Amino acid sequence: MMSETSKFTEDILKAATEKAGNIIGEAEAETQRASNEAKTSISREAEDIIRSARADAEAVKRRETSEARHKSKLHEQKEKDIVMTEVLDHAKKLALDVTKNESKYSPYLTTLVESAIRQLGDETLLIHLNKADMTRINRANVERDIAKGLQKPIKIEWSKEPIEAAGGVIVSTPDGKTRIVNTLDERFDAMEPKLLIEAGKSLFGQ
Amino acid sequence: MSGIETVQIIVNAEKQAAKIVQDAEATAANIRKKIDSLIQEQRTEMLATAKKEAAALVQQAEEEGKREAESYEKESAVRIRELIARASSKKSATVEKLVDMVTQGEK
Repeated sequence: MMSETSKFTEDILKAATEKAGNIIGEAEAETQRASNEAKTSISREAEDIIRSARADAEAVKRRETSEARHKSKLHEQKEKDIVMTEVLDHAKKLALDVTKNESKYSPYLTTLVESAIRQLGDETLLIHLNKADMTRINRANVERDIAKGLQKPIKIEWSKEPIEAAGGVIVSTPDGKTRIVNTLDERFDAMEPKLLIEAGKSLFGQ
Repeated sequence: MSGIETVQIIVNAEKQAAKIVQDAEATAANIRKKIDSLIQEQRTEMLATAKKEAAALVQQAEEEGKREAESYEKESAVRIRELIARASSKKSATVEKLVDMVTQGEK
């Protein structure tokens, strides 16, 4: 039979062993909790890194394709501009060449003068031509055609000072205060925006 | 057994018990100490993996973007060539139309 002393010492050691077990168990549980919390927190950090990378990746991809689209648009515009400029230059040359064809130019000039007269609304007018037209245009014919076109008498004076233009006219009031510039160059420049739109429609369907 | 012997035995048992508890405390302290470095190791490892994955994602997207851009540029070049060819065939008619606008149309 176990002596009282042995039983007592055994109880002391048993209690100590139990306490030791608790101390270690507690430390293990505590570290397990800390480990789990840390894992959750690190996982969140890692997910943030991946999420941010996905957004970066999207942006990188978008940038690459968007640059290509932009580059392509510029290239397309450049090519279109080349064709448009070519067409416009050619049209300008041909339009100015109308002065070389007397049978076409004379009625055209009359139209330009008539148009200017309508805009001015005066009955006495001063017509300015370039040097070449001053010598070759049959003024009497022009005056007759204008009167016929407007169906009212107009007093026309012809300026002795030539204008600097490829063709066409400047019509002014006798005092020169009001002028309608219908020179071919000016007319072409003024119409350029319209011509560009028309050329765009005709060439590219836009 | 004499009284002194009994007391001696109990004192020894108490000493042994104290030693057991002391050892357990040392072990617990050691466990707590190790967890910090273990967590740090885990963090470094997990974040390194995530960063590697992130870099791969960005690189893959960049390569995909470049491939798509290249393909778009090729298709676009063909489309522009065709567009210009079609436009070129309409040049003469367009020039004629513009000349008519200037020489016949009103300002």
